[in-house]
Amino acid sequence: MASITPVLMKGIGELNLREIDVYKAQGGYAQLERALRELASEDVVKMTDASVLRGRGGAGFPTGRKWQFLPNNGEPRYLVCNCDEAEPGTFKDHQLLEETPHQVIEGIAIGSYAIGCHHAFIYIRGEFKRGYEIFRDAVAQARAAGYIGKGICGSNYDLELTLHRGAGAYICGEETALLNSLEGRRGEPRLKPPFPAVKGLYQKPTVVNNVETLAYLPWILKNGPEWFKAVGTERSTGYKVVSISGHVNKPGNYEVALGTTIRELIEIAGGMRQGRKCVAVQPGGGSSACIFEEQLDVPFEYESLAEAGSMLGSGAMVVFDETTDFVKAAHSLVRFFAHESCGQCTPCREGGHWLQATLERILCGEGLESDIEILKSASHQLTGINLCPLGDSIEPFLGSVIHRFEDQFRSYIKQPRTKVAS
Amino acid sequence: MSKDVTVTIDGVSVTVPEGTLLVEAAKKVDHEIPVYCYHPKLGPAGLCRICLVEIEKMPKLQIACNTPVTDGMVVHTSSKNATEGRRAVLEFLLLNHPLDCPICDKGGECDLQDYVMAYGQGASRLADAKMHKPKAVDLGPTIVLDEERCILCLRCVRFDEIVTNEHSLRTEDRGAHAIIATATGEAYRSSFTGNVTELCPVGALTSKTYRFKSRPWDLHRTPTSCLQCSVGCRLNIDERHGEVLRTMSDPDDAISDGWLCDRGRYNIGFYHDERRITTPLLRTGEQWVQISWDEAIEQWAASLKESAAADGPQSIGVLGGGRLLNEEAFLLRHLCDALGVKNVDWRTGRQRFASHAARNSLAELENAGVIVTYGRPPSQMAPILDLRIRKAVSHNGARLISFGELGADAFVAEKHANTLDELRAALPAQYERIAFVSDGVSRPLDAALAGLRDELAAAGKQIVSYVLGEQPNARGADALGLVPSGGGLDARGMLEAARDGKLRTLAIFGANPMLRFPDRALVEAALARVPFTIVSELFMTQTAERANVILPARGPFEKTGTTTNVAGEILDIRAGLHAPEGTLADGEMFAVLADALGIALPDVHAIRLAIESAVGNGLQRDEAQPPKPRASTMGLIIRHIEHIFSGGGTSAFDAHIAALRPGPALLVARGEAGLEDGDVVDVVAVDGTRLDKLTVRTGNRIARGNVFVIDGLPEAPANLFADGAAVSIENVRKVREPVEA
Amino acid sequence: MIGVSEATTASAVDFPALLERLRPELEAIIAQYEEPRSALLPLMHRFQQEEGYVSREAMSTAAEMLGLTPAIVESVVSFYTLFFRKPVGKYMLQVCRGLSCVIDDAEEIMAYFRKQLGIGHLETTADGLFSYEEVECLAACDRATCMQVNLEFVYDLTPQMIDEMLAAIRAGTYPVAPLAQTRKPERTWKVPQETRGKSAGAQGVSDPNDPGGVGDRSGVIMLERFTQERWLEGRSRERMVSDAAAWLATNTEEKKGH
Repeated sequence: MASITPVLMKGIGELNLREIDVYKAQGGYAQLERALRELASEDVVKMTDASVLRGRGGAGFPTGRKWQFLPNNGEPRYLVCNCDEAEPGTFKDHQLLEETPHQVIEGIAIGSYAIGCHHAFIYIRGEFKRGYEIFRDAVAQARAAGYIGKGICGSNYDLELTLHRGAGAYICGEETALLNSLEGRRGEPRLKPPFPAVKGLYQKPTVVNNVETLAYLPWILKNGPEWFKAVGTERSTGYKVVSISGHVNKPGNYEVALGTTIRELIEIAGGMRQGRKCVAVQPGGGSSACIFEEQLDVPFEYESLAEAGSMLGSGAMVVFDETTDFVKAAHSLVRFFAHESCGQCTPCREGGHWLQATLERILCGEGLESDIEILKSASHQLTGINLCPLGDSIEPFLGSVIHRFEDQFRSYIKQPRTKVAS
Repeated sequence: MSKDVTVTIDGVSVTVPEGTLLVEAAKKVDHEIPVYCYHPKLGPAGLCRICLVEIEKMPKLQIACNTPVTDGMVVHTSSKNATEGRRAVLEFLLLNHPLDCPICDKGGECDLQDYVMAYGQGASRLADAKMHKPKAVDLGPTIVLDEERCILCLRCVRFDEIVTNEHSLRTEDRGAHAIIATATGEAYRSSFTGNVTELCPVGALTSKTYRFKSRPWDLHRTPTSCLQCSVGCRLNIDERHGEVLRTMSDPDDAISDGWLCDRGRYNIGFYHDERRITTPLLRTGEQWVQISWDEAIEQWAASLKESAAADGPQSIGVLGGGRLLNEEAFLLRHLCDALGVKNVDWRTGRQRFASHAARNSLAELENAGVIVTYGRPPSQMAPILDLRIRKAVSHNGARLISFGELGADAFVAEKHANTLDELRAALPAQYERIAFVSDGVSRPLDAALAGLRDELAAAGKQIVSYVLGEQPNARGADALGLVPSGGGLDARGMLEAARDGKLRTLAIFGANPMLRFPDRALVEAALARVPFTIVSELFMTQTAERANVILPARGPFEKTGTTTNVAGEILDIRAGLHAPEGTLADGEMFAVLADALGIALPDVHAIRLAIESAVGNGLQRDEAQPPKPRASTMGLIIRHIEHIFSGGGTSAFDAHIAALRPGPALLVARGEAGLEDGDVVDVVAVDGTRLDKLTVRTGNRIARGNVFVIDGLPEAPANLFADGAAVSIENVRKVREPVEA
Repeated sequence: MIGVSEATTASAVDFPALLERLRPELEAIIAQYEEPRSALLPLMHRFQQEEGYVSREAMSTAAEMLGLTPAIVESVVSFYTLFFRKPVGKYMLQVCRGLSCVIDDAEEIMAYFRKQLGIGHLETTADGLFSYEEVECLAACDRATCMQVNLEFVYDLTPQMIDEMLAAIRAGTYPVAPLAQTRKPERTWKVPQETRGKSAGAQGVSDPNDPGGVGDRSGVIMLERFTQERWLEGRSRERMVSDAAAWLATNTEEKKGH
């Protein structure tokens, strides 16, 4: 059976990697130094492209390709590290930020060098106050050690890094909403085109990369793209930090090669709690559809999960045993998306609220037979017609569990309880 | 460089320039794609999602408002998928909509009603209670907002952001709880608020003046031009049962760019005000006596004949004309010529000249690389023209420079040049067109500025000039000759002659010199001395009060003819209201007088031709020496400032405008003389002239050493003071107790 | 760091003095960005840190410093849940209601908090010490049920931990510093809709989204599981809360080990 392969996670829990000396003793910042000394920025782009490193934030877009969309128009370019992790079930960036901040800084610096950016930003979720402080201290250490600032590592390459705290809005994880928020605006996704690569931060070419994505850059430089490509499948290469939570014995972040099966991942996380049966897994964060017990041998990688009707997304696995109340689970996620809808698009704003109200009525024992159909059709008809993917994230989980556990929904409706008075 | 592309929309091919938005391309073949958030003047926002269409080779439905057409694109607006998408969006929009169409002002012209009729489903599937939001929110002096009807298309917010650049409307909260709001505790105040009621595709934003007044299909519409300022925006008079209930913009109007200012939109409440004068009045002692038109004309004719017989036509004066239509101005001049009267002057305010050059379209202002304003701010003189300036600056990157010796010209702009050298230095290195926007007042720097204009023209720069009229038809009155001729007296000369007992008859048409002439004391002395003053007015203004005979006049919506706007365009004016019985248009008064005096009038065609040829020629006259700046040896300098809602005529007698009119105020730089917002003060000049009980308002764009009083307020006439007079501030009544240090 | 135990003693802030003190820092923040407006969120965080909430003065000051209108600033501030436009308690208790916590024991935890505090979602205790909110996924799903106390994480919550936490906060011995409190909080810090915008002409519409009011069903749902079998007509909500707590007390041994 497969096992964990700590790459980014190496040393976490054993070493105080918040200290630059500890990080450097593990080989930290060597790749940044090497890149600045030996590699042209195009070489870094080529290596990243060759590794087929896909964005670990959720969309899974190949990082090297994303960088290559930047126009060569002489305008300043920006790199923004997306640490607005708020996808339900996902807690990997949170841990990387707090436990191994220098690895993230090194990744940002290498990515910035690759695209020719001289002012990078990291957008840190507002709730990660402690993470922000840890990262701020780490940046101060890195600056003192010459890894941030003018002429870093003795080269003629300048890089400024600005920390920016969010203030409570999941939607700011969407890259254009993040840029709006970074510009001091409401975190509302922008109309595309233009795309950030062309007009991003301050209307300048911008790349937004996830924390985990950037953190892999030192490793790809160190071990070469072939090392990264050696694991996984042709289009889903390398390693991935998987956040596993729910009804397992040892929830946590586990770094594995892509292609590890869901069943293996459950085992890695200590197996099912109290020896119960796994009836469903949400494999890719709150936006993904459930896969079910008969699908547990699906490899955890982009294409296979898509084929199985779900997605890898942010790589956050929530595991459900047979005691799960899927009506409440669905309600939790629908409420989440309704709460986090920016409200710009009609379908997402109105539809999310409608679904939430319907589910709450069902949970209150006031459900109607017709509600099942409403849940199915309303969630379906709001999908695919919004400006950003948030609205489209409601249907997958809700649709999959209604389809599978319709009896749970029906039992709430068929046994109406007395109306709850307020 | 732009090439054409051909796209097929529902089987119909249309060729449009590359980059055209699909929603606009569809209009070309009369396939109107429904939109809410999209507006041609605000651009795409992609929020409402109602404009979903199916495009072949694209997996998902696309929004037509943000999709540029490409060659060979095949679009279906009514395929099964597109229809289903549209139905879904409408179902979502209606979920929490109150469906109070029976009492909604928008009923009958509501895009939500229309599209639900066309594309929606019959019944709601919502089993829960609708979400409630605040209704009838008092957004400010003009607008009421119903948050439940609002579909959050944000057209209003975007108008306030993109077009006016004022950023006073906003979204509050997010998601399903989002609503439209102002900053907490602040009213929605702007000179352009009414536009949001027209932009609003549903009944969320309504004008206080029109709420619960009518159904759109009961209104009778007459297009005309606005006569509240010199811009002359095209507007529609919506009348019912003889009353104008609202005015609406013309989206295709090149002059207004599709917008109206609130002065133009809302200053319509006076037409039926009970204070309207509807019969000629004769002063006998302290009393006003109603007389017939025959008697009034008889008195007038008799006075003219007697004056001419006694002291010749030089004892007759005619003041005013900037509020008359072209035809009326022409007739007035014709009468003067027939009578040999040479003392004629429309310039009864501060303005001295009405144009610099031949016609420049307002659109040309938009594309200027540099805009120089000189004099009173366009925002208060001609708001819609000011929107063009804002567009030029914020969208086209124009540089805006306000010019004039510091303090003499109101507010300090982003870039302010006090001297010609500073102005030169402020000009960008590269630009093609420079626009000059001034108010026609003579100032010490006039000659220097004219020199610069010539110099720039010689250097190949394209020069466009706009002289903002104090009165709507200043340019027409000027072109049609309501100016002194053959050694006649100008307005000041006439008033001085009157004061000195040298005038026997004074006629005042379309003017209120008591409030607007820069020297109120002179006007008062003059009117007290003239044996016979005849005034045409709609209301008992401060000038009318001092007349011997008052002729009841008609308002802009009650007359037909033409006017000349700031750009030198001749605009049609059409009567959309029946005037009250007993009133006459000024032109009709002239015709009746001509008849009484046996003066023949030219026919209509001749008048029209005369107007067209006169207005086409830009007039450039030698000006009297501009007043020398008065050096101040003490205290503060008082300046007059225009306010779009001030005035002693129609706006002073209009219930709609009442809430918008400024109170008597003293505007000072923040921190000046220790004054704070809300303090009440008296202003006193060296000669003892004073204005009492002015409320202090501070601003950070007012030049220090200056205090501003609002011109044109009958209750606190600024023209008591000469512009630039030295004043001191007395009797400061603090609004707040001084805080101990 | 020691918390304070006594009931709220709000000390009014001298805003001009505060601004004078912060100005160099605020200007340094603004200088970090190519465009000043980017500093809006950081500025609001900084003012909230000082005042305990985002005051009107803070918003208008930021507007002036960044060249924005007050409406823009307020619009932005209202978008983000971590900005409080009204004063809050000295301890902001934010319990996670995300999926992983909900399928664990978040509902019991939330019920227990409500019972022990005597307040609901988005409410503040009368003494101004505690504010309580049920928040979306906090990204600590491996340690369900989790929460934040003044943005410091607390993991693997149990009723016993809650008791100890509340007692320690009340006693002033809890190791998380209290939030600044410069004005006495009201029952909720949520800005009710009818007061938004200029409401001089607004009709008195009750706000269905009023936290804890009829529109807020989150508490109802949570309670529902305790009452389904033992529902009695006419029982008050308070009674339901206490019943739920009693039920919890007898079922704590079911807590998972972790």
